[in-house]
Amino acid sequence: MVLKVFFPSCCSSAESGILIGRWISEQNSAVILAVVHFPFIPVQVKHYLREVQQVTKVSVSVLGSWNNSKQEKEESLSEFLEDLGTIFSHEPWIQISKEGDSKFWNCSTLQKQSDIHREEEIILVYYDQRKVMLSHLHPPLDTADHGAEDASKLSAIFNTVANSKVLFMTDRYDDGPIKMTHWQSDGIEASIIVELMKQASVPACMLLTFLLSLVSGVCNSRVLKFWPLSFLWSKLSTCEQLGHRLQHLQVISSSKKAQNQTQLMRKANIFVSLLIDVALGILLMSWLYRKNQIGHLADTLIPVADHVAEELQDLLQWLMGAPAGLKMNRALDQVLGRFFLYHIHLWISYIHLMSPFIEMILWYVGLSACLGLTVALCILSDIIALLTFHIYCFYVYGARLYCLKIYGLSSLWRLFRGKKWNVLRQRVDSCSYDLDQLFIGTLLFTILLFLLPTTALYYLVFTLLRLLVVIVQGLIHLLVDLINSVPLYSIILRFCRSYRLAAGVKFRVLEQQDGKPLRLLMQINPLSYGNVVQTYRLPTYSCYPKDSWTSLCKKLFLGELIYPWKHKGEKQE
Amino acid sequence: MVCAQVETSPRRCWQKVLYERQPFPDNYVDQRFLEELRKNIHARQYQYWNVVFESGAVVQQLCSVCVFVVTWWYMDAGVLSPQGLFGAALLTSLLGYVLFDAIDAGVGRRESGRTRWADLKSMLVFTAFTYGFSPVLKTLTESISTDTIYAMSAFMLLGHLIFFDYGANAAIVSSTLSLNMAIFASVCLASRLPRSLHAFAMVTFAMQIFALWPMLQKKLKARTPCCYVGVTVLFALVALMGLASVSSVGAVLFASLLLSISCLCPYCLIRLQQLKDNIHGPWDEAEIKEDLSRFLM
Repeated sequence: MVLKVFFPSCCSSAESGILIGRWISEQNSAVILAVVHFPFIPVQVKHYLREVQQVTKVSVSVLGSWNNSKQEKEESLSEFLEDLGTIFSHEPWIQISKEGDSKFWNCSTLQKQSDIHREEEIILVYYDQRKVMLSHLHPPLDTADHGAEDASKLSAIFNTVANSKVLFMTDRYDDGPIKMTHWQSDGIEASIIVELMKQASVPACMLLTFLLSLVSGVCNSRVLKFWPLSFLWSKLSTCEQLGHRLQHLQVISSSKKAQNQTQLMRKANIFVSLLIDVALGILLMSWLYRKNQIGHLADTLIPVADHVAEELQDLLQWLMGAPAGLKMNRALDQVLGRFFLYHIHLWISYIHLMSPFIEMILWYVGLSACLGLTVALCILSDIIALLTFHIYCFYVYGARLYCLKIYGLSSLWRLFRGKKWNVLRQRVDSCSYDLDQLFIGTLLFTILLFLLPTTALYYLVFTLLRLLVVIVQGLIHLLVDLINSVPLYSIILRFCRSYRLAAGVKFRVLEQQDGKPLRLLMQINPLSYGNVVQTYRLPTYSCYPKDSWTSLCKKLFLGELIYPWKHKGEKQE
Repeated sequence: MVCAQVETSPRRCWQKVLYERQPFPDNYVDQRFLEELRKNIHARQYQYWNVVFESGAVVQQLCSVCVFVVTWWYMDAGVLSPQGLFGAALLTSLLGYVLFDAIDAGVGRRESGRTRWADLKSMLVFTAFTYGFSPVLKTLTESISTDTIYAMSAFMLLGHLIFFDYGANAAIVSSTLSLNMAIFASVCLASRLPRSLHAFAMVTFAMQIFALWPMLQKKLKARTPCCYVGVTVLFALVALMGLASVSSVGAVLFASLLLSISCLCPYCLIRLQQLKDNIHGPWDEAEIKEDLSRFLM
C-alpha cells in the first residue's frame, strides 16, 4: 500500500528536527502539522503533545524525523535521527531528509517491529496549511458510494488540520520550551480592530436583545391578537416582513455561540443582508426626501388612481354593450354593469376624500424605509393592494357569481340526466326525482345555462385585472425574497477568498526524479457560485401559495378565489 | 348409448369435465356435443293487432310533440291567446285529474299513498315558479339567434322521443332525461314568444302535455284498453287537423308517418320475426336469473 505524507509547504525550509502530526491508519497516511527543532527534551515534547491532545481532541504524535542538511551529509546526525525512533515509538517511523537546496527529498520508513524490511512507496503531498485550516469542505451532494468515500477521507485530513488550530494560534514572540515551525498566525495583535469589535459586540448584542424583547413583547401583547387585528396583520406583507427581520435580529444578537460552520455562515449572511438592506433603504430615503419627491409622488398618485377608475368605467361601458360581438343577456348585463359602475363611483369619492391626507401619509410611510429596502417594498405592495381594492372587490363578486353558476350547473346537469352525487360513496348514482323537482331543476338549469356567458365574461375580465395586480405584487415580493434570501456574505467570501469554501481538492504533479518519492501539490477546488447560493440560501417566509399551474388553472376555471397569500388550513402540495 | 359403444373399446368414456385427467386432447368433444343445441327459445310469437295496440304509445307521443309544436305556432302567430290556452289547459287538467282517479276507483292513489294536499302543493309550485320566472324566460334568449333556438328545440324534442319510456326494457330508456329534454325545449320555445304571459302559458301547457298526459295514458292503457284505442285515434286526428291548418304537406307527411308506425312497422316486425335464427347451447355464457338487487342494497 502506498504511504502518503501530507507535508505543510511552509515547513520545507525548517531546521532539522522531528515531525509531529497525526497518523491516519485507515488511509495509511500521515498528516504533518509541525516540525519541532533541535534541541528539545523528549519528556517536554511528550508533555506538550499530551496537552495539545487534550485541547484539540486530535491524536497528535511524533511521526518521524526531519533532516534539513545545508552541508554534506553527516553520518552521526542520521544515526541519531534513527535512534530518536526508539524514544518516540511510532510505527512506521518516517524519515524525511532534504539536502541543500535540492527539490527532491529522501523519504524512507522504518518498521522496527516487523523483521522484514518492506520497501513502501511514498507519496509526498504538499499542502498550504493556512488555506486548509481556514477552508470548509463541502461534500458533494450526490452521495454516490465512491464519491462519498473519497469525501470522507478528505474531510478527515481537513478536520485534522482545522482542529489543531491551537497549535498555530500561539503568539509568535511567545517563547515556549519547544521551538517549532508551522504556519504562524499573526496573533491577536495583528487584528486589534477585530478584537476590539469582538469585545464591543457583547454589550451591543445585549442591548439589542433587550430592545428586541421589548418590541416582541409589545407585538405579542393580547390587545393586538384579537380577531380583526390579527386578521389584518396576517394579510399585510409589511407586518410579515417586519416579523421576519425581527427574527433575523434575534438570531444575530443571540448570545449563543454558533455551533458549527453552517450556523456561523448563516449568522454572517443574515448580518450582511440586513446591512445591505438598510443601506439601500437609507439610499432610497435620501432620494425620496430630497427636492420634495414625496410631494410629487402624492400629486401624481391621485390622478393615476382617477385614471384607473376612468379606464375601468370605460371597460364597464364596453362590457354593457355587445363586447367583441358576444351574445350577452342584456338584462343581466345591465344589472351587473350598473352595480359595478356604482362601486367605482363609491371608490372615486373615497379617493377624493383621502386626497388631502395622502401627502402626509406618504411622508410618514417613507420614514419606514430606514428599516430597510424590503420593508419599503412591502409597504409599496400593501399600498398597491389598498389602491386596487375596487378591482379586488369586482373580482370577488365576479368569482362568487361564476362559482355559484358553475356549481349549480354541474349539479343540475346531474339532475337533468337523472343522476345525483352520492356523498357517502363519492360517486354519481342514479336517482328517481319527483316531478316538481325535475321541473324546477330543469327550469333553473335552462336559465343558468343561458346566463352563464354573461357572468363568465365579467368574471374573465375582472380575473385578468386581478391577475395583473397579483403579478405586480408577486414581482415585488420576489424582489423582497431575493434580498432576504441571497447569501451575500458567502458570495463575497467565495469571490475574495475562494479557498474558504472548498468543494474538493486537486493534485498537481510536481517535477520528478527517479528513485525519489512522487511529489504532489494539493490545491483547493472552490465551490461553484450556484452551489454557494444553494447551500447558504437563507430560508424565507413564503406567504404566497405554491400552486402548480394546473391547479391554478383549475381554480380559475371553477371560480375559486385566488389569493396572493397562503391560507392557514391549506394543504401544501 | 354412446357410452355403451365406448365401453366395448378399451378406452374410457369421455366426460365433459376438466378436473379429471382423460386420455383426450383438451379441445376434444364427442358426438353428444350438438344434442344440447336449442333454437329460438326466447323468441316470442307476436299477434299483429297486439303489436298495433302497443305501438299506440309511440303514436301518442309523436302526437303530443306535434300538438305542442302546433300550439306554440298559434301562440307565436298571435292566433291563440295565452289566457285561452291556460284556461283550456286548466279545464282539461281538471278533467284528466278526475278521470285519473275514476278509472281505477282510487286504488292506485291508495297504494301510492299520495294525498290530494301533495297534488295541490305540486300544482302550486309549478304555477308559482313558472309565473315567477316567466319574465326571466322572456328575456333569456333575446340575444341568441332564432335559428339556434329552433335547432336546439328540435334536437331536444327528438331526444325526448328517443329516451321516452314506451314500455320497452332497454338501457337507453330514461324517463327523467326525456322529460327534462322536453322541458328544456319548451323553455327555449317559450322564450321566443312575444310576452311573458305567453311564456307562462306555454311552459304550463308543456308540463301538462309532457308530464301529466303520459301518466293518464299509462293508466288508461292498463285499465281500459278499448278506451285507450279510442283516445289514441282521437288524439291523432286532433294533431293531424291542427297540423293541416298550419301546413298541409306536413300533415300528409305526419299522417303517413303515423300510419307506417302503427300498421307497417308491426307487419315488418312479424315478418322478420320468422327469419329469426338464435342458437343456444352449453357454450352460452352463464346467465344470472336470480334478482341480485337485494345484495346491492
